[in-house]
Amino acid sequence: MSTSNSQEHNRRQFLGLTGKAGLSTIVASAAGINLGVFDLVYAQSGGQVQPFRFAHLTDSHLFSGEDHKFDRQLEDSIDQINSMAIKPDFVVYGGDIAQNGTEDQLVKGKKILSKLDAKLIVIPGEHDWYLDMGKVWTGLYGTNDKAYWSFNHKGVHFIGMNSILVQDFWTAKQLSPKERMTAMEMLEGPIGGKWGVGAEQLDWLKKDVANLPSNMPVVVFTHSPLWDYYPRWNFQTADAPQIREILGKFANVTSVHGHVHQTIYNKVGNMTSIGAMSTSWPWPYPPVTLKYPDSQQRRADPGNEVDGMGTLAMDFKGGSASKIVTYQPFADSLTPFLKNLKA
Amino acid sequence: MNNQLLTRTYFVLCVCFFVGSAFAREPFTAAELEAQNKARLKLVELGYNEWHGSNPSMSSNGLACGNCHPDGAASNPQTFPKWNSSMNKVVSWTAMANWCIQNPQAGKALHPDSEEMLALQAYAFAMHEGKPIQPGLATAQTKPIAVSYGKGFPSTPSGIGQDIK
Repeated sequence: MSTSNSQEHNRRQFLGLTGKAGLSTIVASAAGINLGVFDLVYAQSGGQVQPFRFAHLTDSHLFSGEDHKFDRQLEDSIDQINSMAIKPDFVVYGGDIAQNGTEDQLVKGKKILSKLDAKLIVIPGEHDWYLDMGKVWTGLYGTNDKAYWSFNHKGVHFIGMNSILVQDFWTAKQLSPKERMTAMEMLEGPIGGKWGVGAEQLDWLKKDVANLPSNMPVVVFTHSPLWDYYPRWNFQTADAPQIREILGKFANVTSVHGHVHQTIYNKVGNMTSIGAMSTSWPWPYPPVTLKYPDSQQRRADPGNEVDGMGTLAMDFKGGSASKIVTYQPFADSLTPFLKNLKA
Repeated sequence: MNNQLLTRTYFVLCVCFFVGSAFAREPFTAAELEAQNKARLKLVELGYNEWHGSNPSMSSNGLACGNCHPDGAASNPQTFPKWNSSMNKVVSWTAMANWCIQNPQAGKALHPDSEEMLALQAYAFAMHEGKPIQPGLATAQTKPIAVSYGKGFPSTPSGIGQDIK
């Protein structure tokens, strides 16, 4: 078997070819582990992008204690990324490594993530942040002591931002750090309200992209979606309109987010938005009408511990085809909707 | 004549019977209705707290019902009894809830007739008010009821942050 055939064989094994209940099960039942693959195809007119792959892991929600099932699920995902035939150049972690923001949980996450062969870069989620307002998280995972960053890689501009900042509700009521964390832990908790990136990061973003050419592909990572999906569960980012405006000059922008623990797709203006599954548990779809309902997963099987969970990898394919940004989740078993996207 | 008398007597008896049934009990007063609803909402509140981890016996790994079912979503009480593929039979909602407690949450099952289980039901059912009863299959995604603020049922707000009404 040639190398390329072998790689393809491995990849097909890894993707899984049989599916009984939707995208997530295709992978979970075939690979036995919770992993999904997205291929993201970008080709700009000048053909400046070199082909490469990166992976995206998110929402592991590690609890305290040893040998928790979520530890194993994260470890499984890392094993899968490490064994990919086409290695990712880097891995982005999309937030909520911890469940309760405690030091032991964040340290445990660091230890497990250190098993990744590829370079890791991280943004926070609300579960990482509100016990100590990101102190331990920043020490362990921050980039230059910040929770936001950017870099260029093979012709693509990557941006990560902290999208889970809410207005201070704790000082006036003299809440303890634990009370503050507890209020933020509950997805449907009525206290915290809508979150966003805030003025400091908006200013930084403006400066960050000011001198970039408009034909440069941009990929932006936030914990929460950059569109109003379902604000009650913070399936939103309050200042997403400003972010989209700042990034409006680019021909193609891809937003990758976690938090929703489900596959979700949207397009707003020049921004293609992809929501990733978690490595912990799936959230149900909220009571809203989706613009692209055909991209919706089936309900996860509660009897299958890893159904509805996954990680994400993207391939950037170079060349000069005139396609817009698109993606192919689980390329061997596309829904009709996604097959149309592929074309 | 006898027949007419019998008919009249029958008619009078019927009227008395229906009037009697209508007034067999005084209509509930506003205060009584309020007390009934208060008793129910007390259970809903208890169920909400259990749903979010207040009962340590229900979980040994930190997971609560709310981890997978925010606002009670996808707990679907209106679709039970229904087939459960893990148990290989048609089950009640309480059996499904106990399955979740024992498996994903690795906790100790609640007695099906306990107040704790009744409270879980009170909360889950309250969050699906208005949904048609629809015994069905487990595979489809079901949409929860949209909640605009608070906990999704009448409850005293904490007054903290956005929780003011």
